[in-house]
Amino acid sequence: MLTINNLHAELEEEGKQILKGVDLVVEPGKVHAIMGPNGSGKSTLSYILAGRDGYAVTEGSATLDGVDLLEMAPEERAAAGLFLAFQYPVEIPGVGNMTFLRTALNAQRKAQGQEELSAGDFLKFVREKAKTLKIDAEMLKRPVNVGFSGGEKKRNEILQMQVLEPKMCILDETDSGLDVDAMKLVAEGVNGLRDGKRSFLVITHYQRLLDHIQPDVVHIMANGRIIRTGGPELALEVENNGYADLLAEAN
Amino acid sequence: MSSVKEIEVREGVDRETVEKVAALSGKYKHGWETEIETEYAPKGLNTDIVRLISEKNGEPAWMTEWRLQAFARWQTMTEPKWAMVNYPEIDFQDQYYYARPKSMMQKPKSLDEVDPKLLATYAKLGIPLKEQMILAGVDGAEDMPSEGRKVAVDAVFDSVSVGTTFKEELKKAGVIFCAISEAIREYPDLVKKYLGSVVPVTDNYYATLNSAVFSDGSFVYIPPGVRCPMELSTYFRINAENTGQFERTLIIADKGSFVSYLEGCTAPKRDQAQLHAAVVEIVIEEDAEVKYSTVQNWYPGDENGKGGIYNFVTKRADCRGDRAKVMWTQVETGSAVTWKYPSCILRGEASQGEFYSIAITNNMQQADTGTKMVHLGANTRSRIVSKGISAGQAQNTYRGLVSMHPKAKNSRNYTQCDSLLIGDKCGAHTVPYIEVKNNSSRVEHEATTSKVDDDQMFYCLSRGIGEEEAVALIVNGFCKEVLQALPMEFAMEAQQLVAISLEGSVG
Amino acid sequence: MALPKLKADATEARLAPLSLPQGGAAWAEAARHDALNRVGAMGLPARRDEYWRYTNPADLLSPQAPRAALFVSDELPPFDAVDRLKVVFVDGVIDPAQSDDLTLAGLEITTLADALSQDAHWSREVFGQLEARGQKPVERAFAALNTAFAAEGVVIRAMGKAAKPVSLIYRRSTETADALMHHVIRVESGADLSVLENGPAAARLNTVMEVDVADGGAFHHVRTQGRDRERRAATHIFARVGEGATYKSFTLTVNGALTRNETVIEILGDDAVAHVAGACLGDGADFNHDDTVFITHDALRCESRQVFKKVLKNGATGIFQGKILVKPGAQKTDGYQISQSLLLDDDSQFLAKPELEIYADDVACSHGSTSGAIDETALFYLRSRGVPEKEAVDLLTLAFLAEAMDEIEDQALADDLRGRLVAWLRRRH
Repeated sequence: MLTINNLHAELEEEGKQILKGVDLVVEPGKVHAIMGPNGSGKSTLSYILAGRDGYAVTEGSATLDGVDLLEMAPEERAAAGLFLAFQYPVEIPGVGNMTFLRTALNAQRKAQGQEELSAGDFLKFVREKAKTLKIDAEMLKRPVNVGFSGGEKKRNEILQMQVLEPKMCILDETDSGLDVDAMKLVAEGVNGLRDGKRSFLVITHYQRLLDHIQPDVVHIMANGRIIRTGGPELALEVENNGYADLLAEAN
Repeated sequence: MSSVKEIEVREGVDRETVEKVAALSGKYKHGWETEIETEYAPKGLNTDIVRLISEKNGEPAWMTEWRLQAFARWQTMTEPKWAMVNYPEIDFQDQYYYARPKSMMQKPKSLDEVDPKLLATYAKLGIPLKEQMILAGVDGAEDMPSEGRKVAVDAVFDSVSVGTTFKEELKKAGVIFCAISEAIREYPDLVKKYLGSVVPVTDNYYATLNSAVFSDGSFVYIPPGVRCPMELSTYFRINAENTGQFERTLIIADKGSFVSYLEGCTAPKRDQAQLHAAVVEIVIEEDAEVKYSTVQNWYPGDENGKGGIYNFVTKRADCRGDRAKVMWTQVETGSAVTWKYPSCILRGEASQGEFYSIAITNNMQQADTGTKMVHLGANTRSRIVSKGISAGQAQNTYRGLVSMHPKAKNSRNYTQCDSLLIGDKCGAHTVPYIEVKNNSSRVEHEATTSKVDDDQMFYCLSRGIGEEEAVALIVNGFCKEVLQALPMEFAMEAQQLVAISLEGSVG
Repeated sequence: MALPKLKADATEARLAPLSLPQGGAAWAEAARHDALNRVGAMGLPARRDEYWRYTNPADLLSPQAPRAALFVSDELPPFDAVDRLKVVFVDGVIDPAQSDDLTLAGLEITTLADALSQDAHWSREVFGQLEARGQKPVERAFAALNTAFAAEGVVIRAMGKAAKPVSLIYRRSTETADALMHHVIRVESGADLSVLENGPAAARLNTVMEVDVADGGAFHHVRTQGRDRERRAATHIFARVGEGATYKSFTLTVNGALTRNETVIEILGDDAVAHVAGACLGDGADFNHDDTVFITHDALRCESRQVFKKVLKNGATGIFQGKILVKPGAQKTDGYQISQSLLLDDDSQFLAKPELEIYADDVACSHGSTSGAIDETALFYLRSRGVPEKEAVDLLTLAFLAEAMDEIEDQALADDLRGRLVAWLRRRH
């Protein structure tokens, strides 16, 4: 599914190197988690995969099902099935949440050669999904993320994921700013999408999200590289001992 | 002005404000007059007077010529009328353009020889004793120990700089701080190079007038890489009657240098309006930074609008080098009429300009003040925070320009301009000009107008705070962002002034 | 005081080809002469005048209208689906053949020429009167010129709730038409009237609409200034708003070489409401769009809103000069003003002078003005969800205009104009 090979990247303006050779392969149907201390490059990796401006890839590659991601515009990556749930979902005043979802869905359907959904069908489709995430009609009417609480924003990200049905989902610190109940809701939303084919890359600082979304593989990232890879037990090790030992070991 | 050693810098400023307000009586604190024998040039303005001023200052021929050209230009100009201020026509021929204390003609040898009235003036201004001695020109005063933080002072009394303190110590750091009359004689190359380069002789009616007749003012040069070892300060005082004060300040911050400059102004109570038309030019080279703080407390006239200072001032900073930075902070509580727009030319790349202003008008005062931020270079930043408070029958106008030129890519401006009205006979106005000529720059302007919040007022009253104190408290809160931008000594002074200026505005 | 020579000469040159309309009643003749005297005293605007610092009046000053190529639209005209009373003007002259019968329940409607020829017509209290009031403190000499010389227009009196909107349709048939139109409207106490305006009108257009909204009356105005590229327009609205009355006006502008829309509103009755809004899409270096608004509060507890949004590209220029004046005693005023521009490229520019002038203390007045490019973060967010860049820019553009579009109260009209906006944005791809 997602293959990252020796990826090096820096901040375009400052020339500061952030990724220093990331290697990662996420197989179809698998859930991979990336854990790491602040500043290890986790979020940068997610932004580069989604195609945000401001970063320059200096070496290496990233492909989705063999197709070069790095050459594509962000919307092309989305149409190819990549989805990033943002750590800080963006507020867009003036754009209704429904309009946003419908524009996105129809744009992707168009890119994939499918018919656009009619307004009626779309409404029904979204309402069903929204219900399971406890997103009410009022929230759907409001402008995208404007005035949403932290939890509402994250739930809205998962709703978008459910509506757009991507094949590769990246969740960037989706647990940040969530209480236990909200985290459960979000995790249920994600778990509902696990179908044996769809893959996930869950980026998190803490182990607690992984209690609810069980990973197949756990990677530890530090200083722009993946320094260790293991099973779910690796996350527990971090939880109990912190990152210090792992970092020392890597050095 | 408040002295350095009288004030301890402390937390809990708000409570202190209340105490100070309660302790103060009398409305205009600096409204006394000093009876000092003064030497005047004849009234009126003509080429002879211009030559006389130049001659009294011992100026070289090029300077006399510069003045005469300015005077010739001024005669072709008309007074600007666009500001929202009204005042009777000024008879420019009915003013003295040169006055100085006679005692300055010979330098005193000891404190005993100093005109006691001059000393008393300084004392009333709150200038510490040691600095009083230095200002009075007493030999050896510089070598006496001083307490607390050092501030070098240049005092301008009517038309003449009467003395500058800490000159020697500053000289060791390479800093030149002296009267501009002295600089014209001693550092002609620097003056020639920079004078009129930020505010051209032809700039505007009052600046051109100033160029012709300025009698003194301060000159500052900070050499490359030097952080000025102390704050520099000028006290301006208009004492003589029917006298215009036309001071000229020139500050040059060479590459990588830093200076914080304070300016305070007072004048005695007089029934007749007096004219003040100053020019301040600041040149800021690469990586240099200048902070310029003003507490303007010229006599505002009485409750009926009689007397007071007409304050027509041109202040401009030119950020010539990359990453140059200027910060204007002003507290304008005095003057009958204020016409003043301290401006920033952001020429260097990534240069920054800031303008923090409190303008308080009460009774019949009128203020039309603001700033211009002219963004010429890429990645330039500017910030404007203006707080206007209007009481009595006063009129208070914010007038500003934010201009993003086509080449000023990726620049930013943020403007916040708030007005507070106290009473239903006053006015508060906002006249911003916003000109954006490229799309990578972002300009944001916000303005609000409101009155003192009833709930806040009630809350204060219910806690036993008197009405005037409550207003002072709330107004100080309204101004907080600007007060915080002032050096601490000035912030204290400013808080008291806020309260005093608003006396009689409620009830 | 005598006018400067340049100004006097320019004024004389502009007036030379004009002649005062004949056949008016004595009061109308007097009103026209008064207006002509106003023009003479003020002189027509010059580039250096404070209120023309951002828009060059040269094209409005030339004795002949600058030639403007005819524009043929391939789309249905706006408001086509709306049931309305149509009044059609061709090159600024009313065309009865294309217009509906000027009868509608609740309304009295006639032509300007007809109203002004009657000795005791009600419009004598309004014609030229509101325009004259609106000349202080800012001079609007083109409006006075209009009062003096305009022979065409409609005169409408609403006495109850109008059954449908009155739609003024301005067609154009020549490349040189220089049109002067003057409309007089009175909304009586408790009455309710909507007026729609659309169409290119002329190569050069000068309109004045005087609107007198009596106590408890409601006036709604929705106007489009369409894709006709080369036309020039100076429009003026002078409104007087009575106690508890409502005045709401919205204008959508797309292209045109020069547009200067002046709105002067005087709120004289307590508890009244006045809203003025505009959305504009400007494309090209020859595009100059200027909204100049002056709202005077002279009563208690009134609300005013000014909402202006401009999207500019390819060197277009957008201008906003707006003012809220709160007179002494106009306590509890709620005044709001926002002017924003979205610059889609580096050549376009936004020039604004948003003013507050306030002489009463118990008021809440605010204004905001911003200028900048598309929000890159929002753009990326949309693209990361699969929305192509151009579509994402359109979506953000519509979002940017939303606050102004929301000022259209009638939902059918609002939807019509939103649909049109979307279509216009799409055609630019």
